[in-house]
Amino acid sequence: MSVSVLRNFPHSEPRSLLAGVLAVLVHLVFIALMIFGLNWKDHPPEGMVVDIWTELPKPVQEPVKTQPPPKQPKPVQEPVKPKPEPETEPPKPEPPKPEPAKSEPPKPAPQKVATPPIKKPDIAMKEKPEPIKEAKPDVEEQKKKEQEKIKEQERLKELEKQKELEKKKELEKQKELEKQKELEKQKELEKQKELQKQKEKEQAVQRQREQEAKAQREAEAKRAAQQAAAKNQITNEISKYKAMILAKIRSRIVMPPDLPGNPVVEFSVTLLPGGDILDVRLSKSSGHAAFDSAVERAIFLSKPLPLPPDPALFNEFRNLNITVHYRE
Amino acid sequence: MSTTVTQDMSFLHLISSASLLVQLVMLILVMISLLSWWFIFRKLFVIRNEIKKTDDFEDVFWRGADMNALYQRTTNSRYDSGSMERIFAAGFSEFNKHPAGSDLEAVMESTRRAMRATYQREMDYLESHLSFLATVGSVSPYIGLLGTVWGIMNSFRSLSSVTQATIAHVAPGIAEALIATAMGLFAAIPAVVAYNRYASGTDQLATRFESFMEELSNVLQRRAAG
Repeated sequence: MSVSVLRNFPHSEPRSLLAGVLAVLVHLVFIALMIFGLNWKDHPPEGMVVDIWTELPKPVQEPVKTQPPPKQPKPVQEPVKPKPEPETEPPKPEPPKPEPAKSEPPKPAPQKVATPPIKKPDIAMKEKPEPIKEAKPDVEEQKKKEQEKIKEQERLKELEKQKELEKKKELEKQKELEKQKELEKQKELEKQKELQKQKEKEQAVQRQREQEAKAQREAEAKRAAQQAAAKNQITNEISKYKAMILAKIRSRIVMPPDLPGNPVVEFSVTLLPGGDILDVRLSKSSGHAAFDSAVERAIFLSKPLPLPPDPALFNEFRNLNITVHYRE
Repeated sequence: MSTTVTQDMSFLHLISSASLLVQLVMLILVMISLLSWWFIFRKLFVIRNEIKKTDDFEDVFWRGADMNALYQRTTNSRYDSGSMERIFAAGFSEFNKHPAGSDLEAVMESTRRAMRATYQREMDYLESHLSFLATVGSVSPYIGLLGTVWGIMNSFRSLSSVTQATIAHVAPGIAEALIATAMGLFAAIPAVVAYNRYASGTDQLATRFESFMEELSNVLQRRAAG
């Protein structure tokens, strides 16, 4: 009885839920590892990209570019030298300016002072003789007058002395004015000289710039000439090799006899580097199948075609148009 | 698939930018991996438990415990009983069904049959899901490889529209495609290891059960004769 029950009862599986939780946990750990592991390797590739940029095509152009830079620094340095000098010089003219400004106000002041004294003596001279003529009748008065005259003479002498002093002062003032004027003139001259110097320096800088510009133009012209020469050489090379190719093909043509006129056949030939022929297509028939096929055979026979050793020129030969005249 | 040089190469971005089929493959592989790890842990607990119970039962049995008491204990704790207990119970109950004085040869034969039937049922229980682990171990690398091949095909096809082909155009596509292979291997390697380990574990248990069956039949035969 119990056996039948025993036979069919299932096993109670231990901890199957824990197993599921552990499985999920393992995956979470693994995913976290993947995310952080790949994030760490995220940055280095950016550095590698920079290395690739600086590599290949420029070394030929860079020497050309590096030649101008030494020229450019020179103009930069030379203008710098003149600049400090004008900068230092303007302060020099500036201090003198205040001095003339101070000396000028005194100029009008002495002139005003000098003119009134000149008029006053004139008035004094006219007034003083008149009292002498009026005093003649009385002896005492004459004596007095004489005394007065003496006094007056003394006064006059004093006046004259004063006048002389004034004149001397005026002369001195004039001399001072003249000196000041001379100083001003000298200063102006100095200023002019400085201006001239500045102008000369500016002119010199301009000349230098012009010279540099000329030098640059000349260098550019030389470069252009060199490039033109190189182009000429390249074109010469290309035409030379094209002629060689044509000559080689012509030498292999077995001309069909007795064709009328001078038929012309054109083939477009696709070449491989090294001179092998990839493809030959008849682009313009001569009208004579025998001539066309003779030229085609000759093209195939003449491979490898002569090509210039410079692989850069191969692009000119990749697709060749070959024109063959029956009679040269 | 946008392919610029300064591309986000993080794990999640790679997965989200993968093509639909590659994403599908990744989803399948994640499910397979989850299932296989679940079975790995389940079988680990089951087999460990089984070995422990077998050890305990053999210990008790060979100490000379009373067979009737052992049988009662087994039928009482029917859900927690180990495989060897069940084999013993099946054989003992079959042996006791025969009335005394029956043909000993026939009694022993039917007892052995009953034990073998239980043994096979128990082995089936112990080996359940092991075939799933074996399948995962052999198939999931191929599933991952399918995703990778598809992703690489796509990334190379996207190259055809580009004039200058650089490694930067292909690299992200290949990286996201290779994630599928990585996931396949992640599912396969533990499954294979677990399968081999559990297979050898069940084999050891099977030999123990078989030898116990022989020994029990000898004990019962002596008991019937004696």
